[in-house]
Amino acid sequence: MASNEEGSIGTSMHGVTAREQVYSFSVDASSQTLQSDDPTAKFGLPVDSEHRAKVFKPLSFAKPHMRAFHLGWISFFTCFISTFAAAPLVPIIRDNLDLTKTDVGNAGVASVSGAIFSRLAMGAVCDLLGARYGTAFSLMLTAPTVFSMSFVTGPVGYLAVRFMIGFCLATFVSCQYWTSVMFNGKIIGLVNGCAGGWGDMGGGVTQLLMPMVFQVIRLAGATPFMAWRIAFFIPGFLQVVVGVLVLTLGQDLPDGNLSTLQKSGQVSKDKFSKVFWFAVKNYRTWILFVLYGFSMGIELTINNVISGYFFDRFNLKLQTAGIVAASFGMANFFARPFGGYASDLAARLFGMRGRLWILWIFQTVGALFCIWLGRASSLPIAILAMMLFSVGTQAACGALFGVAPFVSRRSLGLISGLTGAGGNFGSGLTQLLFFSTSKFSTADGLSLMGAMAALCTVPVAFIHFPQWGSMFLRPSSDGERSKEEYYYSSEWTEEEKRQGLHEGSIKFAENSRSERSRKVALADFPTPETGTPTHV
Amino acid sequence: MAVQTFLFASLIIFSSIESNHGATEVSLFTNLENLLEVTAKPTRVGVVWEAGKDIVRITWMLKSSAKVNDDAAFKTVEVKLCYAPISQVDRPWRKTHNELSRDRSCPHKIVSKPYDKIPQSLNWTIDRETPTGTYFIRAYGTDVNGYEVAYGQSSDAEKTTNLFSVEGISGRHTSLDIASICFSVFSFGSLLVFLVKEKRKAKLQQRK
Repeated sequence: MASNEEGSIGTSMHGVTAREQVYSFSVDASSQTLQSDDPTAKFGLPVDSEHRAKVFKPLSFAKPHMRAFHLGWISFFTCFISTFAAAPLVPIIRDNLDLTKTDVGNAGVASVSGAIFSRLAMGAVCDLLGARYGTAFSLMLTAPTVFSMSFVTGPVGYLAVRFMIGFCLATFVSCQYWTSVMFNGKIIGLVNGCAGGWGDMGGGVTQLLMPMVFQVIRLAGATPFMAWRIAFFIPGFLQVVVGVLVLTLGQDLPDGNLSTLQKSGQVSKDKFSKVFWFAVKNYRTWILFVLYGFSMGIELTINNVISGYFFDRFNLKLQTAGIVAASFGMANFFARPFGGYASDLAARLFGMRGRLWILWIFQTVGALFCIWLGRASSLPIAILAMMLFSVGTQAACGALFGVAPFVSRRSLGLISGLTGAGGNFGSGLTQLLFFSTSKFSTADGLSLMGAMAALCTVPVAFIHFPQWGSMFLRPSSDGERSKEEYYYSSEWTEEEKRQGLHEGSIKFAENSRSERSRKVALADFPTPETGTPTHV
Repeated sequence: MAVQTFLFASLIIFSSIESNHGATEVSLFTNLENLLEVTAKPTRVGVVWEAGKDIVRITWMLKSSAKVNDDAAFKTVEVKLCYAPISQVDRPWRKTHNELSRDRSCPHKIVSKPYDKIPQSLNWTIDRETPTGTYFIRAYGTDVNGYEVAYGQSSDAEKTTNLFSVEGISGRHTSLDIASICFSVFSFGSLLVFLVKEKRKAKLQQRK
């Protein structure tokens, strides 16, 4: 009569010996079935259905959203400091290592080239392992390369080390990915703009920081040729510290860490081949690749050449040239967030079409001022042109990342990676074409670069979303294709949809209805995709 | 934004004032006469000299071919270390410029002494901060206001003879190398520790 099958009634021995521990009813923090009525109550900020924050409070450190924001931009900031740390010290380094102009130029190209590959890889890492590990890997695996400047003795070593340090610019991708999963689409332009802008500021801060650190070390008694090597320990050490902070204080997703959520079944593990295919297949990815190459790309190039340009052409002292160079990078503090904010504002009024127009306007204006900068022969005009150029270009970077999160939901990380890689590719290309040879003077190089940027911004007119339209075309009038759900679920095969793997994309599609223009949104009631009718 | 533009406008104005200061008279190299005889003899011959270690004996005096009152304007003699053409190739920051205030080919000052009619000499230890390169020595005779009126150099007019090579210090040090390795190991190590810890935690949670 007593069944011997496991689990059948009567076979459990729990409680028999009266020595088993009795548990009072408790809520396990890691349990995914939340007992409270409101699952969003545990968040410090108001959230949407995907638990992404709807509000941006820059002065807060609330878990997990604002913490992710601050850790993200600080990581990126630190990496920018490391990558461009050599630029203000080049006058000392070129004497120590007996470098020629070609050596210096090639090292500059190398410093931005490594990130082309690492940004691509980072996109995949974020999609598969989470933003936290992505950031930490980038910071802590490249810190040794920063320290290894102490071993460099000639142009080859210098180039190799700058190339390897450049890999850490992949933190850009992990930072943007992290904010994109933590913040709602309505404010993503501003959030990404702040994170990106404050991170990019590192390129400006380093022009002030490294000469200062160098000076202090020299005062402590070191020779110049040793002092610059010691100075590199500062950015390296910063990287390690921030890496540890990211690992201990950070969280991948609003609901927890990726590995925990994957193991509990809340987030499904995606296949890299699929993620890659859908990113590469989407033509918008490649347009963004080119666009970013001529906004962020020329910004990176300027970080490498502008100090020397002002030093040589206007005979400024090294410190003064450094201040001018720093102010270009520091404009990022407000310029890039401004671009993101303008993108969000345009979206509120005109939807995605507004975002695309804003992107084109900022980038073209920036490029025109770059042409002017090269033509300017008096110092006041040159500085004015440079500041206007910096605002235009950096705002364009911010505006671009107001568009990027909407290109794909499934391959968000990889698209961020590809776009970011495009930035570095553009920088390597422009440095190679215009600033590594004696064919043109630096001034002519600047103007030519501006002209090329203006030309390469035209493709933004070809970005078309069937549900929202493009710069010159209206959204599709087809009932099926004009829905956000259609666009985002087209990234999943029928088989995958049957398994319900596309649920995340559907939620995202609902939240992205904000990208419709105001007129369309008011006339249209959101139709529930799944849900029983109000009366049966 | 307006404030930033204003601040930079003022920065430019001040720096341009600075760069225009005192340039009423432009000294050109081609206007100088070669009146000084400069020689540079090493104490060690046949080897590349090391910065901070090797000594060069520099002498300078008025040329025997000079006329009687040619040196009337001389107040001080500035002896400088100059780059030979080979060290200037593909290095525009060491370019020779006819306008002496913009000339970058002689950046290293050796000594500045008041002019004396008798020949002067100096045993100069090559400065520790001298970069690797090929050099020659030039002496400028300057007047009361500090403007160059004559020169002399240890090499010929084309700067091809009597050049000497200097090997700069490497700037490397064992203590730096060791510190670098220690920090790198710490970076890798802490990352590994975290990875292992988190994997263990995730495994425990899965078993629950």
